Amino acid sequence: MDDIAKKATLIDGKRFSEQLRERVADEVGRLATRGDVVPGLAVVLVGDDPASRVYVQSKQRAVTAAGMRSFEHSLAAETTQQRLLDLIHQLNADADVHGILVQLPLPDHIDPGVIIEAIDPRKDVDGFHPTNVGRLGTGQGALVPCTPLGCLMLLQAHLGSLAGREAVVVGRSNIVGKPMAALLLGHDCTVTMAHSRTRNLPDVVGRADIVVAAAGRAHLIQGDWLKPGAVVIDVGINRIAAPERGEGKMRLVGDVDFDGAFATAGAITPVPGGVGPMTIACLLVNTLTAACRIHQLDEPEGLAPSL
Amino acid sequence: MTATRIDGKGIAARMGAATAAEAEELASAGWPPKLVSISVGDVAAAELYVRNQSRRAEATGIAFEARNYPETISLEQLTGVLAGLNADPSVNGVIIQRPLPTHLPVRTLQRTVHPLKDVEGMHPASIGNIVYNDLALGPCTAVAAVEMLKTLPLTIEGLDVTVIGHSEIVGKPIAFLMMGLGATVTVCHHMTRQVAVNSRRADAVFVAVGKPGLVTGDMLKPGAALIDIGINRIETPEGARTVGDADFESCAEVAGWITPVPGGVGPVTVATLMQNAVLATRMQMERYSGEYATNGARPG
Repeated sequence: MDDIAKKATLIDGKRFSEQLRERVADEVGRLATRGDVVPGLAVVLVGDDPASRVYVQSKQRAVTAAGMRSFEHSLAAETTQQRLLDLIHQLNADADVHGILVQLPLPDHIDPGVIIEAIDPRKDVDGFHPTNVGRLGTGQGALVPCTPLGCLMLLQAHLGSLAGREAVVVGRSNIVGKPMAALLLGHDCTVTMAHSRTRNLPDVVGRADIVVAAAGRAHLIQGDWLKPGAVVIDVGINRIAAPERGEGKMRLVGDVDFDGAFATAGAITPVPGGVGPMTIACLLVNTLTAACRIHQLDEPEGLAPSL
Repeated sequence: MTATRIDGKGIAARMGAATAAEAEELASAGWPPKLVSISVGDVAAAELYVRNQSRRAEATGIAFEARNYPETISLEQLTGVLAGLNADPSVNGVIIQRPLPTHLPVRTLQRTVHPLKDVEGMHPASIGNIVYNDLALGPCTAVAAVEMLKTLPLTIEGLDVTVIGHSEIVGKPIAFLMMGLGATVTVCHHMTRQVAVNSRRADAVFVAVGKPGLVTGDMLKPGAALIDIGINRIETPEGARTVGDADFESCAEVAGWITPVPGGVGPVTVATLMQNAVLATRMQMERYSGEYATNGARPG
């Protein structure tokens, strides 16, 4: 590449997430020595999807490493919806449990909406309960979904105040796109929500100071679409063929054409190693936040962005 | 070019007729819809709204009880009143009139209303359902504004929409409603650097800021739809007048469609409140017959 060309700064989500996890562990230690409370997270897994099992295990390891309690509930795939609801009610009432995470997807015979709505919103560390979504939309102390919360932290760490910046969110999923837009609006960005129905995506992306790509399509966003100096947060994790690594090999890429964007953007998150590691770190943050709120303790200052 | 006026009164009348039929059907099933309006202290500011709502309710076959509590009522007392209304099966919707005295935080009260009786669509769960594209009881003004746009011969999927104002009960819900319908939505507000740049590329503009004359014709793309949600009282040499956030004259020159103020979003908002009242009643009836009753009849 041309030596004169300006290259983007890499936003190192892995390092940031490690610092965040240490910070959470410190706060948990402080709560414990004061005898206040030990935050606890219950993780519920239904069925034996191998990918879900891996996620659940890494979440539990992170919880334990941060000094919190982890409660595992592993249920058979044929568990009825009522049986799962009973467990949720039991966890809602359990004073040692401050966060409840139901690993998605659930088997087809269980309605995830019904399960999520059964979780006490104060313990909804995924931030998926309609009450938390509404609290996020109205700035009333929500628990915020982990992935967009992580994106916001990375943006603030890199840019400081976000007020007045043009932000474009590509993708309108309930888990990332929509809460991301709500968060950026809450921080006074001028926000455009773009998606698969958007007519002229290159133009829309081209006007943004901040691009959050969460469409789930490999290399959807080209480097030459970007406004020079834009900050790019790539939430996409797509598996594509990598014949250069050998026959049948795959590699992970984001929604942004990284090589092209690296030459144009001001800063960009890599995939992997960008947003991904922030998600689990934010789950720890949310569990700690939930525990503090339930016990009416002061929330650790500056740990999570004000909302 | 002169814009076509979007007739809020006509749209409200059509909605009202459908709602009245619904209300009648519910009444004959043993669930006559009933709203309770709560105002506190000096009601002069809210009186016009209450009277208007009461008239619309009556015309639609919905019972309407206006309660006024003294300025001195405590938060605990009023929360208790709301708990009573939540538990009363003959009450299907609760309206909390604003303004309230400063010792009564409106958000806390709105959160106290049961989500199934939240006809104003202000409970966090109601707002959250909007974001999830599950439109049960939506915030009335936002829903009304979107309903008005939907009456126009525009394909909303892929439409470029700019929302000016990011209030929690109007601007933001409109943005999520429009995104749910497939529009590309940009939200501007007081921190936006150049509102005109954003409004000028939009096929439809919603404005909900509360500033008369904020949007002028040169900020619009020719032929765009302008939905004006502002309601502002201004003094003119001819006396006091109600105007929106748009400079009507210059905008009407450029826009393809425009809502007048008054007579635009206002009447449709009240019609949406009535629509929410029958919807809430139906949801309560279904919940009740699903969980408690064998014959679907209301208790007591």
